[in-house]
Amino acid sequence: MLETIANRLLLSIPVLLGVLILGFVLVQVAPGDPARVLAGPAAPPEVVEQIRQRMGLDDPLVVQFMRYMGRLMQGDLGRSLISNRTVIAELSSAIGPTIELMFACLVWSIPAGIAMGTLAAVWRGSLVDRAIMAFSVAGVSLPIFFICLVLIQYIGVKWQLLPFIGRGGPLWTVDGLRHIALPALSLGLIFIGPVARMTRSSVLEVLRLDHVRTARAKGLSEGRVILRHGLRNALIPVITLIGLQAGYLLGGAVVTETIFSYPGIGRLAVGAILSSDFPLAQGTILVLALAFILINMIVDILYALLDPRVQKK
Amino acid sequence: MTRTRQLLATLAAGTALVLPALAAAQDLTIVREVDSNNYDPHIAVARAAAEVLFMAGDTLVTITPDMQDIAPGLAHSWEVSDDGLVYTFHIREGVQFCDGKPLTAEDVAWSLSRWVDPETASSNAWRAGDVASIEAVDTYTVEYRLEAPFSELLYQLTQHFATIIDRDNVEALGEDFGINGFNGTGPFCFESWAPRDRLVLTRHEAYDWGPPFYENQGPAHLERITWVIVPEENTRTVALLTGQSDISQYVPAIALGQLRDAPNVEVQRSDEAFWTYFMGMKIDKPTVSDTVVRRAMNLAVDQEALAEDIYFGEVEPAYSYISQATLDWNPGLDDTLLRHDPEAANRMLDEAGWERGVDGIRARDGVRLAPVAYVFAGSTWQRLSEFVQAALLEIGVDMQIEAYDATVAWGRLATQEFDMFGLSYPYISAGDALNLYFPSRNIPSPNRMNWNDPETDRLLQVGKTALDDDTRSAAYGEVLAQIHDTAVWIPLFHEPMFIAHSSALAPVVPHNMYGSGLYKGLDLRFLD
Amino acid sequence: MTTAADIDSTADPVAPRRRAWWRLLLADRAAALALFLLTVIVLAAALAPWIAPHNPYASSRTVMLPPVWEARGTWNHILGTDGQGRDILSRILYGTRTTLIIGLVAVVVGGVLGSLLGLLSAFYKRIDPYIMRLVDMMLSFPAILLGLALVAVFGPGVVPVIVALAIATIPDCARIARSIAVSVMEQEFIEAGRAVGLSDGTLFVRYLMRNCISSIMIFISLRFGQVILIGAALSFLGLGARPPMAELGMMAAQGRDFLLFAPHIAVIPSVAIFVIVLCANMVGDALRDVLDPRLRS
Repeated sequence: MLETIANRLLLSIPVLLGVLILGFVLVQVAPGDPARVLAGPAAPPEVVEQIRQRMGLDDPLVVQFMRYMGRLMQGDLGRSLISNRTVIAELSSAIGPTIELMFACLVWSIPAGIAMGTLAAVWRGSLVDRAIMAFSVAGVSLPIFFICLVLIQYIGVKWQLLPFIGRGGPLWTVDGLRHIALPALSLGLIFIGPVARMTRSSVLEVLRLDHVRTARAKGLSEGRVILRHGLRNALIPVITLIGLQAGYLLGGAVVTETIFSYPGIGRLAVGAILSSDFPLAQGTILVLALAFILINMIVDILYALLDPRVQKK
Repeated sequence: MTRTRQLLATLAAGTALVLPALAAAQDLTIVREVDSNNYDPHIAVARAAAEVLFMAGDTLVTITPDMQDIAPGLAHSWEVSDDGLVYTFHIREGVQFCDGKPLTAEDVAWSLSRWVDPETASSNAWRAGDVASIEAVDTYTVEYRLEAPFSELLYQLTQHFATIIDRDNVEALGEDFGINGFNGTGPFCFESWAPRDRLVLTRHEAYDWGPPFYENQGPAHLERITWVIVPEENTRTVALLTGQSDISQYVPAIALGQLRDAPNVEVQRSDEAFWTYFMGMKIDKPTVSDTVVRRAMNLAVDQEALAEDIYFGEVEPAYSYISQATLDWNPGLDDTLLRHDPEAANRMLDEAGWERGVDGIRARDGVRLAPVAYVFAGSTWQRLSEFVQAALLEIGVDMQIEAYDATVAWGRLATQEFDMFGLSYPYISAGDALNLYFPSRNIPSPNRMNWNDPETDRLLQVGKTALDDDTRSAAYGEVLAQIHDTAVWIPLFHEPMFIAHSSALAPVVPHNMYGSGLYKGLDLRFLD
Repeated sequence: MTTAADIDSTADPVAPRRRAWWRLLLADRAAALALFLLTVIVLAAALAPWIAPHNPYASSRTVMLPPVWEARGTWNHILGTDGQGRDILSRILYGTRTTLIIGLVAVVVGGVLGSLLGLLSAFYKRIDPYIMRLVDMMLSFPAILLGLALVAVFGPGVVPVIVALAIATIPDCARIARSIAVSVMEQEFIEAGRAVGLSDGTLFVRYLMRNCISSIMIFISLRFGQVILIGAALSFLGLGARPPMAELGMMAAQGRDFLLFAPHIAVIPSVAIFVIVLCANMVGDALRDVLDPRLRS
């Protein structure tokens, strides 16, 4: 058991290293001279040269990479070229909102997806099943921006139920909740489909197992059989799914945050890229990649904890 | 359209009931399209910067909303010597910065000297005239000495570039000045800025030195102003309609009709904006160095269609580089302006030997007519540049659009890496516009055309230092003739100022200074 | 050589199913409809320059014209015009072409590279752990992040987006290809082929690749929809295709400004993306069910 976790942690070291190297390369291969960019187009050559030396841009790549790693260890990601604030400061103000958005999205979409998947499995082949499956295929085929626009148009504009610009405050305040509702709804809608599908097939699989048949034979009511045996075992693949779909969710979050002007990491990343703010772009990409690695690690460990088969191995 | 009307009517009716007030009564939320890259008055040139700096800081003199008269500001009075070389400003007593420090003539002299100091590298230092010295004579008197007379000095001193700043603040913040902090004497104080997201200003409680043209002579009515960046036009419109924003001058032309009809929104219009949109060309780049090509490109664009279709008739098509109603416009040019005539354009290019290739794009001597155009990211320039792109394609010119976020665009526009660029700019007179864009010393920015002509430089100097109207007008008129004849720009349209605001606000008088319609915001208030 | 041919025909693991798959697929009425629609869309996109009623880049004096089924619509512009007066139908045809090309090139390049990696990994056991570690590493970099990173470096454009999507397709594809190939490698005919002295190259191409290809193709088709969605999302954010090139995601983004007044400008391209992806997903699902239930989990 511990071994599994240790193994998993070990596995993420090369991945982590890869991400860090990528972050380094990102700034290295960027077109244009970073010193020139920093100095501004009007700066005289001497100033550019000075900045070059200060930044150590003339040193060998290995030295530069070691220095970059050293700075990273100290949490120094440089300063944004645009705002001149430290990248860490920019990131730390954007991480909270993104975590809130993810939470607000998962907290409703996972239960909803599981419920739909279970219903579909129980009434397999029925009209309900087909409707739910059609909904889930449609869900994974819809461009997220379209969902956002439709929700804004109807819930925001026509019926005026909820605001759709920015963040109202922390999640526990009324204003915060109202502002996060539409982005969380949009993001959740693209996630329900995969969850429902996964739940359906695993519940179906579980229902075919021997002990479930036995339980049925013993005369337990259908509802209890499903709840006690089917659903519990079906949760494991759903957890894996979160790991598998983390990238998908992340992409959705980038679009959602941008459309709703929600000040999270995704919007920060898009803004930084569009304004060629390399240090900030690098920072946002590093943070997103780290988050992705972390989610997958947690999911793998959870999986190991929950699934007896993995434990035995 | 009727359906939209109905929608808007229900929308407005529902607003009061369904949407609870999102903020306290004296908090104002303004939506706008883009942010500035910083808020240092000597560096920042964007309208986005001017809007905030007029509120967070003050200038020696001010200008009335209709741009006609100079009014007192931090200086309650001033004198000009007969030779036009010495300006003496008398500073108000009792003015203080946001941090409580009293304002003295020292601060004024230091600020203005920083503006013209080559070290500051302000692209707008020329607006201060040929300064000999700016010195504090006593605690409340500043002497502004010029090398040569400058007919526009007082006007230029009303611009946000001449905002008086706090030396201690500038030195303490270093590179972070105008980014992480700004200590000014304006009716509002700089609280926080999250670039590309929002900027928050709070009321300056001690403020009682507002310009005389404001009804309110005390501190501002509003406690807090939040400037929010919303790049999407549609979202800005809806934000106004649904009360998520109280006021904005960044309202798309398409929405103006509907906003006027909505019972909860008022639209104010001012025609004295003198704000023109154009695409300029770097005349030494092979793709646009031929005058024939530039003239043909001018003929290809249908400004009337642009104003009608893209701006729903809310703007005035432009054939001249400044509005024909501007002071010192040369009426002799009225009949020579280039108007839409694609056949003539094609004929001219054929005759000049620019031949169409298999892809329909013209080329000559290995030069393919595919100029690279830098424009601002965002819907305004996207639409404008695509409109021009489509028009140019008709005459075999394949304009390549590269759009940059406003935060980097200004830096990009100061390079030599493009052939064309899209900009819009405010001006008060022909001299103001020409002295900005056409002196050779302003290459590469703001003279992005690389217009390098000794005769122009001479004429501009004559106009600038003229002591009588006729000399000035004649000199500027000649420069206007030169640049229109060689077609260095493609003028697109003149834009009036529109401000849409919630009916809960007292009617707003648009101020035309640098297009920053709210100016000091002293009279902004919610009705009871 | 005769022996080799004999082995080939008897040992093909998917051969018996292959004969009927086409009929089975068409028996699924929804899938058949999706396949038909997809074929029409691909054809229309491919023939865009010939069938588009107008020049997709030329503006006309009629802007924001609604589609023909609405009150002011005309047959001249069946789907109406956009904010610049450009014909939406023509732009949709051209835009679909761009969108499909982005998706196809990415999926094919990524699929080929990924499958090669997976197959090599299964074929040469020695390099298996290294390749799989590399794949694991790539797997921890979602497509959207790669896209953002590449665009950050090279600036917005179609090429960085295609490259990012292609790279993001590699690891998944390598894993699937490897798992399929491992089971094929266990089959007798590989052993037999080795015994008769066939070279590694022949074995790899003739026997391994041939027997894996259909399963891999199915996986790629399943992936296609997702890749298109990500590509469109990047273009929507202004990081992908650039004007004047028509691309569905970008067209939707441009339509946003008119949402309140002429919603069709944003809705039509969005729906087009939806239909393409939906059809691709349905065809992929059905193909998988019919051809290769192994891939189901």
